[in-house]
Amino acid sequence: MNAPLRASGTTRTVALTLNGRAVAADVEPRTNLADYVRDALDATGTHIGCEHGVCGACTVLVDGEPARACLSFAATCAGAQVTTIEGLDDDEVTSELRAAFNREHALQCGFCTPGMLVSSRDLVLRLAEPDETRIRYGLAGNLCRCTGYAGIVKAVASVIADRRARGIAPVTEARALGPVGARSGEAVATVPLVVEKAAPPAAATMTISTDFKPANSFEQSFELAFPPEQVFAFFADIREVAACLPGAVVEAMPEPERVEGGMKVKLGPISTTFRGTARVTRDEATQSGVILGAGADGRSSTQGEIRYRVLEGAAPGTARVDLTVGYTLKGPLAQFGRPGLVREVAGRLIAEFAAHLEARLKGAPAPAASSGGVNPLRLLFSLLAQRLKALIGG
Amino acid sequence: MKPAPFEIARPREIEAAVALLAEGGDGAKVMAGGQSFGPMLNLRLAQPSLVVDITGIAALKSVREEEGAIVYGALVTHADVEDGRAPDVGAHVLSRVAAGIAYRAVRNRGTMGGSLAHADPAADWVNALSALGADVEIAGPSGRRWLGLGDFLTGALSTALGAGEMLVAVRVPKVPASARFGYAKHCRKVGEFAHATGALLVDPQKGTARALMGAIDAPPLVIADARELFGGRVDAGFAGRFDATAAAIALFDAGVSDPVERHIHVEVLRRAVRQADGLFSPQSSPSSRSAA
Repeated sequence: MNAPLRASGTTRTVALTLNGRAVAADVEPRTNLADYVRDALDATGTHIGCEHGVCGACTVLVDGEPARACLSFAATCAGAQVTTIEGLDDDEVTSELRAAFNREHALQCGFCTPGMLVSSRDLVLRLAEPDETRIRYGLAGNLCRCTGYAGIVKAVASVIADRRARGIAPVTEARALGPVGARSGEAVATVPLVVEKAAPPAAATMTISTDFKPANSFEQSFELAFPPEQVFAFFADIREVAACLPGAVVEAMPEPERVEGGMKVKLGPISTTFRGTARVTRDEATQSGVILGAGADGRSSTQGEIRYRVLEGAAPGTARVDLTVGYTLKGPLAQFGRPGLVREVAGRLIAEFAAHLEARLKGAPAPAASSGGVNPLRLLFSLLAQRLKALIGG
Repeated sequence: MKPAPFEIARPREIEAAVALLAEGGDGAKVMAGGQSFGPMLNLRLAQPSLVVDITGIAALKSVREEEGAIVYGALVTHADVEDGRAPDVGAHVLSRVAAGIAYRAVRNRGTMGGSLAHADPAADWVNALSALGADVEIAGPSGRRWLGLGDFLTGALSTALGAGEMLVAVRVPKVPASARFGYAKHCRKVGEFAHATGALLVDPQKGTARALMGAIDAPPLVIADARELFGGRVDAGFAGRFDATAAAIALFDAGVSDPVERHIHVEVLRRAVRQADGLFSPQSSPSSRSAA
């Protein structure tokens, strides 16, 4: 997962100062600072762990301040002063920390140690006193799986106590506003050559498991100013229903109850297309139905169901549609699943769907912005993706 | 865990960035410090074809004072606010919030404008600045416009930014000497996104209060006139009259249907209320960490 990046895009020369020495290397725009120093310059003291800002192993000094090398693209740090663990051999504070780490058994496997030393150095410089709580808060962004932190906290506290006893006051270096490492931009006239995107995954033949038990579920409902019978009758036409659902496309209906298609989802910076299959059944007697679907976007796969029921609305001649949405998500998206956020987005989607539906029932043409849909579940699943839950806070 | 290939542009003027965004269309994405967007790129949740890195634009790295407000350039970092390089809107009001954002290594690159434009409902600036009644300046192909944060934040990860538009500044009203700001959040691990956020801007002299419950998976619930949370009036004894039921009802009306979640959000707001109340006594100084 942390394998070096094979060049597959355009490259550019990024020059900066590494450990006091002017360096330059040709890297891709997507190359982060950690890969830049490790792969291009063989400075492998910087370790890469989670690659999304949580573990702290890649923490280096940029313009003298700690920064995540995995969340700093090399191209955005052109001209910066970068200091890695290799550049801290003769640093006074780091030397004291090394002795203290040694004394207090503050490391075992050593994987977290380079980042831990960089963050510890920052705490030694800034904290007024060796307050254990503040040290622990300050080290919360550096994970160690060996030591249980006790030795690390003791080591940092001892260096702070010692320096303050020697009359060395805490400092916060003066600096300009803005992100560390960011130098002035360039005169950019036009959009650079746009990167060719891989084609979206071909329509997958997904197997819908019949004994599906969703891992998450929630309920939603909406009202329509039309009689229940008319609404339920409308639901029989999958293509019509799909036309009301933003982002969805029906590609084929090989059998009356089987739909193949996809759903393009865009939310914030996330954009993905889920493709798959759905089986649609309905029960006239209870004016209810089930949409059972499975889909994938090339990396993550999902299965889910929507159970709906059309009931009498609050006022005569109106309908209420109750939805029970259940889903299970597998793959890289799953770790970001946060049911509450899915509900919020589903609420917005369903409101839009209901508005389009009502317009269609009134005889208005299909909304232009929407290109039809099969299975809102796919959208819901993919929306799980947005959540970088339990990652770095903002 | 490596991003999909993309191109990068580092303009040095706002106008150039706007032009790049407009030309780049759907495939173009602004990046400031990249501390929230970076993980999305690395995990390939976001796969833009063009990243417009705005950190090379000097005009965004500035702060100016206006009558009754401070205007922060979009690139002012959390650490800039934490350390006081960027002036605060009141005694330790924003610096305290900034010090509790993620980790120091993140705060040194993460920016106020980037956090607002990312619009994660659990983010600190989204909540604290909504509670303080901030508004944002947007630059786009048709010029500049100002928008209140309440109108700017349209949903989880969704904003009112249109095609080719970017956030360039944040105007935060100063907190009067007679007012206090309480801010609390609940995190299971220090530095992670909050599970619940509560904030209260209260001025017993004027009898006003503005409350917020955030991290509700949607834009924060702002109660602009929060007297209802304190028995209908705000005076020196406001904290003792905090009405948990009124807060819970407001959450329920905002769609927070799970009673456990409501309980947590109300409790976190109660902590913010207690903190604001404590700030009226001269000895107490707020903890720089609200996550505890």
